[in-house]
Amino acid sequence: MTTRLTFGAAVLLMLLAAVSALVGVELGKGAARSVSPPLAKPCQARAPFTGGGIDGLIQRIVLDGLDGAACRLGTTREELVLSLRSGTGIRAGHADQTTVEAAIRAGLVRSVDEAERRGDIPSFLAPAVRRLVETVPLAKLIQGGISLGGLLR
Amino acid sequence: MVTAYNAAVAVTALLLIALVHRVGARTILGAGLLVFFLASLACSLAGSLPFLIAARCVQGAGAALLLAGSLPVLGALTGSVPRGAAVWTLAGTFGIALGPALGGVLTQVFDWRAIFAAQAPVAALGLVAALAAPRSVALEEGWRSSLTRTWPANVCLGLLFGALVGVLFLAVLLVITVWGYSPIAGAGIVSVLPVATLASRPLGRRLSGLTAICGGAALVAAGLVALALLPSPSAWLAAAALAFCGVGLGLAVPTLSGAALDPDAGLARSGTFTVGVRHLGLVLALASIAPLLATELPTAGRQAKLRAATVLLDAPVGLSTKVPVALDLAGEFERARAGEIPDLAKPFDDHGAGSDPNLAATRDTLVRTIEETITRAFRPAFLFSSALAALALAVALFARRRVLE
Repeated sequence: MTTRLTFGAAVLLMLLAAVSALVGVELGKGAARSVSPPLAKPCQARAPFTGGGIDGLIQRIVLDGLDGAACRLGTTREELVLSLRSGTGIRAGHADQTTVEAAIRAGLVRSVDEAERRGDIPSFLAPAVRRLVETVPLAKLIQGGISLGGLLR
Repeated sequence: MVTAYNAAVAVTALLLIALVHRVGARTILGAGLLVFFLASLACSLAGSLPFLIAARCVQGAGAALLLAGSLPVLGALTGSVPRGAAVWTLAGTFGIALGPALGGVLTQVFDWRAIFAAQAPVAALGLVAALAAPRSVALEEGWRSSLTRTWPANVCLGLLFGALVGVLFLAVLLVITVWGYSPIAGAGIVSVLPVATLASRPLGRRLSGLTAICGGAALVAAGLVALALLPSPSAWLAAAALAFCGVGLGLAVPTLSGAALDPDAGLARSGTFTVGVRHLGLVLALASIAPLLATELPTAGRQAKLRAATVLLDAPVGLSTKVPVALDLAGEFERARAGEIPDLAKPFDDHGAGSDPNLAATRDTLVRTIEETITRAFRPAFLFSSALAALALAVALFARRRVLE
């Protein structure tokens, strides 16, 4: 009787050890870590987009510009992008369309400045790009960027 | 719908306690099987959700009646109360563990209606058997008027059944709705539970009552922690966690069910009380977990979308591919029904992920990110279920003499 009980208890202890090991494996596989990629905070500096060519340059400028715009609006680049898709006009949080557009243009202009400083855009071309960013309607600007990126890829 | 059924079982069973010893067990069993049979047919023919919920409530009332009546009948048929109680308990434990897996298979092979259509002939067979059983099938009802003695074991049982919400419902929801497994594949994963429950029977016989209850509750609690800590969608890890829950269930529930029955207080009465408490535990846990999920899932959904946007924006993919994929993805999200994860791979595959390794890698990262985020939204609900099992363990330890009195 004693032996049977001891054997059963031993198996039970092994099962408890095994389930603890399972939890250990899960922790080892990152159960305690947050999901990647983390949600970036507004105004947090990011590594620039690393793609090459004209497509990479356009993406670098657009992503930097969106970061700047999101920072001005107190939101994140991702929330801003998702709000652009909502179909209810360009809005982000409580900001109206005019404010959002102004923030995006300002962000893009700052991004062009940065690109010029890095030498990504030749200095003679930078004023024209800045003027485009400041005057062309945003929808056309986005479409133009996509077409240009695709064309010169 | 699940809550409606279990609430109907709990309410009917608890109301029956006062009546069950005045009516013959065969009569109650026969009435229960008839109601269950008719309600199952009604469920299988339901044309609207309100009708289905109403039919499920009637089915729950029938289930309470047949569970209440079957215990004394089984006791008489097997020739002894302990043998009858053992069959009754094993059938109940194995049945509840097997249900989700079987339901998954029937749903995929046929239709959700098949679950109820399959229940009807089983109930009809039971009805025929009950009517054919010898009239002498009746046990003397007990003399003790109070069920107080069985309270501690019943409280443990109620808590453990509450914990089963995590094992049975949350796990199925996670595997099929979030991870996107088909009902049959999901049933394959979840079927580990009844297999482990059955496999644990020899071990249960080697343990003392208290060790089986405490060890079983500890395994269920730990298995639920393992489900809560799933780092990412993984059928193997989920199946392993469910296996531990199944063993825990197989160890604790039969012993507790035996302890929760007091033949001296009337087998039908104490059995009905146990059925009521078990389902009350399920209903209360469902009522607590539903708001938890209702809070966590929308938040996780928003976070998943934002993380998906990060993955896509930073993807090393050309703009001429990135933007159409993003627009199609947004369309998939808009088309998805509430609570469902859309087909995230399709926009990538439509735009050439098959031949573009960078796009394929982006697709895989995005899908993994979204599934991981939603999987982790289940964590509080699994941990709550685990806490219920831990509470059952604490009650069993605290009132160990009364649990096994």
